[in-house]
Amino acid sequence: MSIKEKLPESHLEENLALFADLLRKEGLPIGTAEMFDALNALSKIDLLRRDQFKSALQATLVKTHRDQALFSRLFDNFFVSPEIQRKNAEDSARHREHLERRVDLANSELRFKGESLQLSLDELKQYSSLSHDQRSRLQDFMQKTETGKNVEPRFRPLLESVVKSHLRYCKTQKNKQRGQTNHGSVIGAGAGPGSVEESLRETDIEAIRAADMPEAEQLLQDLSRKLAVQILRRRRSGPRSGPLDLRRSMRDNMRFGGIIFNLKHKPKRRSKQQILLLCDVSASMKQYSTFVIHFLYGLKEVVRNLSCFSFSDTVENLTPDFKGRTDLKRLLDRVIRCSKNWGGGTNLGLALSEMAEKYPDLINAKTTVIVVSDTKTISIDQAVKELRKLKDRVRRIIFLNPLPVEQWPDYRSVSAVGEHVEMWPCSTIAQLEEVLAGRL
Amino acid sequence: MTITLPELRKSFEQVGYICDESTVLTVFLALELQKPLMIEGAPGVGKTEMGKVLSEILKADLIRLQCYEGLDETKALYEWNYQRQLLRIQINRNLEEEQIREEDLFSGDYLLERPLLKAIQAEETAVLLIDEVDKCDPEFEAFLFEVLSDFQVSIPELGTIAARNIPVVVLTSNNERELSDGLKRRCLYLYLDFPEVEKEVKIIKARVPGIADSLAWETARVVANLRRQKDLRKKPSIAETLDWARALVSLNCKRLDGKLVANTLNLILKTRADQQYFNREIGTEGINRILKQSGNGGEICKCQ
Repeated sequence: MSIKEKLPESHLEENLALFADLLRKEGLPIGTAEMFDALNALSKIDLLRRDQFKSALQATLVKTHRDQALFSRLFDNFFVSPEIQRKNAEDSARHREHLERRVDLANSELRFKGESLQLSLDELKQYSSLSHDQRSRLQDFMQKTETGKNVEPRFRPLLESVVKSHLRYCKTQKNKQRGQTNHGSVIGAGAGPGSVEESLRETDIEAIRAADMPEAEQLLQDLSRKLAVQILRRRRSGPRSGPLDLRRSMRDNMRFGGIIFNLKHKPKRRSKQQILLLCDVSASMKQYSTFVIHFLYGLKEVVRNLSCFSFSDTVENLTPDFKGRTDLKRLLDRVIRCSKNWGGGTNLGLALSEMAEKYPDLINAKTTVIVVSDTKTISIDQAVKELRKLKDRVRRIIFLNPLPVEQWPDYRSVSAVGEHVEMWPCSTIAQLEEVLAGRL
Repeated sequence: MTITLPELRKSFEQVGYICDESTVLTVFLALELQKPLMIEGAPGVGKTEMGKVLSEILKADLIRLQCYEGLDETKALYEWNYQRQLLRIQINRNLEEEQIREEDLFSGDYLLERPLLKAIQAEETAVLLIDEVDKCDPEFEAFLFEVLSDFQVSIPELGTIAARNIPVVVLTSNNERELSDGLKRRCLYLYLDFPEVEKEVKIIKARVPGIADSLAWETARVVANLRRQKDLRKKPSIAETLDWARALVSLNCKRLDGKLVANTLNLILKTRADQQYFNREIGTEGINRILKQSGNGGEICKCQ
């Protein structure tokens, strides 16, 4: 019996499509095939049994263990009883009304010389979500600016720019505190926390609390081990991976009078990739770089030609520690304590130029350069010039940028550097895994 | 081959495969929708066993394809018996009979059937177990698409061979590497996790006849505790719990204590580093504490 025959009056298909859309927005790859499977599965179960309904959708729509916790949360929030639905709709209407009032208030408070500042709806919402103290400080600043000497109405764009930057900064800080910089709000207010691992994967690396560090390190170790298996497997060749070796085949089959009974194959040729890791260890980048070093440390056995350097305005070679039997904790401790670069300011151009001068043998056509930096550097023009030179000499440059993607357009350095490298966001462990798994 | 959900649930119980309702339902849907079932989970949680159990429940032949690095279609699907073809040509030449035709050489007589082709050509529905699919190469994974979505294979010399009876396909993976979206899309997905203590007790009782109630509970509690240790490299699996329980039964044990656990540690912790960790961080006292906390610290076994 098809699902329509079973429930002719229902909106099940529509609801399922909406639910699938919600899952897609959260990153689950739900295609038409999965939707067909889900509908077919629903026709085989007792639809009035919630546990069966949930299990059937989970079996057909979710294809990794990682996504199961997310699915469960979304399901519990989406498929609710009519009473809860009504209550949620009322709450939502109340929330909208409240928000509109706050936006109106924000518009009236953010004025300069009698005119409202030109801010987007998002920015006004951001302002209204600030604490009373934060709003008072901003108003105070605007008041002082407005009443200052020789302040004219044409200064308004400048003030708008300052207010916008401040709001952006507050938003980033808030997101980091929540540990969900790149996580949408689709889950809803009532959603409970997911698995610790899942939450850590999606948390901004800089926002991971000290108490969560052991879990985060364990997660990095697991991911790194998994990637190592993957790399190792790619390198081993199957018994027949190479082309036919005619010479050896003929020689081996001379005993059969020249009839080729046993075929011989050549071993598969593999180019030896060289990886050069450059970690920005300036103040804003410390935590991110530590995580990347941690992640790549687990790969040292399988990525043989791996060189690791830290940089701020000079470069420092970490490769001997990386390649030796140094324990990871000791290595990080040594890097942090003894490094001249740790916590300094960044000059990418100077560091790259020193790299090219001191270690020319590491820069060749087989080298993949991985740079971990937020592009905030002194003398961006010099950095771009050096990157252009480096690009011509190496196989590829992968640039891991921990700045949230939505902030990239705000930084000239990001677009300038981005022209010469493959730039990827890496503010979370999940992003780090995704970028490195596909490219090593 | 049709089976209802209650029948399937009952059959699982009868063969001693203890699982939750969600697992039974997922297996039922895979059977009903004739879709391959992809099972992921840590080693030893019962993934391969599912294939065996299904073959027992459905009274179908079990055809197993063990995946490994370098596995290709000649080992998994079919291979022409090249040497036999050459011999036939040689014999024909010497006999100076009429010329041999190409169709004669590429017929069923010269085809070596491998597990996938065997499953597709089986007279009755078979259970095809593709074990540890994450160990095969991505190229081979792509090759499985045709078999798993259309249940047919293409042999250039013979054409397309469609399944006589659609096999029940179970794929298992230890999640050592991410499988392709294409493969996952063609399967229903089931994740098997380590069981809760209560469930593990049921498994132990079902699989280890003659085990004392108290020993089953204590064994499950100790194992559950070991699995919670983050620094253990290899957590004990259900299979290892069962081996351990069987060993304890053969030693006539009725209760567990720290000393007994330490003496039989080799059965549950399989690496030197893990055993050292146990001795350093838990030890016999730790085990006694765990057992005492669970309310079973009374009698000590004298069976060693």
